[in-house]
Amino acid sequence: MAHTNNATLIRREIITRLCRLYLEGKLEDIDRIALAMAPRNTLTNGSRCCIHKARAIIKYRIMALLGFNIADETDELESLYSYALRALAGTDQGEGVLTVVGEACTSCVKSNYVVSNLCRGCLASNCMVICPKNAIVMENGQAKIDPLKCVGCGLCKDACPYHTIIYVPIPCEESCPVKAISQNSEGIEQIDYEKCIHCGRCMVACPFGAIMYKSQLISILHKMSKADKPVVAMLAPAVCGQFRASYGQLVTAVKKLGFTDVFEVAQGAELTARHEAEELGHVLESGQQFMATSCCPAWVELTEKHLTQLKPFVSETWTPMRYTAGLVRDKYPDAVVVFIGPCVAKQAEALKYPGVDYVMTFEELGSLMIAKGVDLQVFEAEEEGIVYPERRFAVSSGVLNSVAAYYTGEQIKPLVISGLHKKNMAVLRRLATGKHDWNMIEVMACEGGCLAGPGGVSSPDVARKLFNAQSGVQTEMPAQ
Amino acid sequence: MNKMNGQVEVSICYGTLCFVMGGSEFEIIQDQLPQNIRHLVHVKGMNCPGYCNKQENGKPPFVTINGKLMGEANLQKVISAITEELTNGTYK
Repeated sequence: MAHTNNATLIRREIITRLCRLYLEGKLEDIDRIALAMAPRNTLTNGSRCCIHKARAIIKYRIMALLGFNIADETDELESLYSYALRALAGTDQGEGVLTVVGEACTSCVKSNYVVSNLCRGCLASNCMVICPKNAIVMENGQAKIDPLKCVGCGLCKDACPYHTIIYVPIPCEESCPVKAISQNSEGIEQIDYEKCIHCGRCMVACPFGAIMYKSQLISILHKMSKADKPVVAMLAPAVCGQFRASYGQLVTAVKKLGFTDVFEVAQGAELTARHEAEELGHVLESGQQFMATSCCPAWVELTEKHLTQLKPFVSETWTPMRYTAGLVRDKYPDAVVVFIGPCVAKQAEALKYPGVDYVMTFEELGSLMIAKGVDLQVFEAEEEGIVYPERRFAVSSGVLNSVAAYYTGEQIKPLVISGLHKKNMAVLRRLATGKHDWNMIEVMACEGGCLAGPGGVSSPDVARKLFNAQSGVQTEMPAQ
Repeated sequence: MNKMNGQVEVSICYGTLCFVMGGSEFEIIQDQLPQNIRHLVHVKGMNCPGYCNKQENGKPPFVTINGKLMGEANLQKVISAITEELTNGTYK
């Protein structure tokens, strides 16, 4: 899902600047980032009205990157430095993992159907006649839709002989599988955390970059500089598709960044696969019709908050992150454990589970490399060590194949759900009815698997290509 | 594979900075090149030559096309620069 566009690149630039300031001990200059990125007498690239707005948006982006929920702002004049100090002191940073940059949200259309200015105000006025809600009026010779009355049925669009009525999507709302994001009375989007499953689809979808994840990076950097406890990184399997480097090179780089040691989450994934295979055997023997995977936190939260009828079918096996954190603690009992992955929802998962202290994204990892001047290209490829086949947990159908490798019971009839888009949501809703013969269901919230996660560096096509070239594991699709 | 006579040479900075700031897209440049000019282009990587250290070079990612430096490069910009090189160059 992560795509290389101006919205993601600006976020990376800000993360890099933030890291640099921290590392240089100049955090008090944090309020100057906005001035440096939008200097006086320069033009904005056209998508913002003026540099003052551009600066305000940068400020709020930094607020999110310091770990705060932007909606919690009480004093507009509170400086970023003040927020930074609060972050370092470990104060409460508000609910949710995703937060809306209200200044950046352009309050997209209020109604999905809009009459363009090509409307000729024709005599027939089919649109007005057909509208079941009387939402269309003729104003100054053109039809106009009242967004308060419009229910979005789209009949008017089909009725117009000039094709002047168009469908304008609201990208974040459209991408949200659980209707957790909606406009407030001012038209600015807001997230309902009771409903949000932290999949991050809205963040990827918004063309204005108005949705940010709350970063924990500054706290991680702070733990590293304190140096009183080992800070250990766990690299998610998708890492093999994110950079132009072998796993061995990545480990060297991550240690250069200041991590004491690096663990591979694929190692924990092996335990997940073994236990899940065993559990599948028990579950099917006990007469339950099917079991679903448990490693995607957005999917698990979907069953906790929305499709509760499916919750009993979700595997109780720990996720690879939890198993790996256990392995870390065996070796470093007092470690600060940091999961590094492509995922936004992992942050929410880690909050529920005390074994993992922080979560950071690959994008943050890459930005930190830039800030520290760590260049992967200069590292010699070192010995690669064990190649865990469970690296394929990062790819759609990979979890299923890994579980199948350890499973010995009756034949697996698999269903692979790749991406929580509308069509797959409908499939999942039907699952609980039991009218199917699948017995093992793998669900990943991102299309194609974690390789396409919202916190990635490379876009999905690139990530897949790099993963195939560098991971050393096969990722073929299973026969369905 | 070495560059053949008449080919447009595209060098992509493989440095981590360029890669993270959008250069990752060039991993699929071969697949994105129009079929009819694919054989006329020689794509290679380079270790960071330090273009990013000079502000006048503009922003990353950096790519050179027949030696000409391009900042804020992306697939579309590079492909159109290649096409331009091909039409203006000696090789037709």
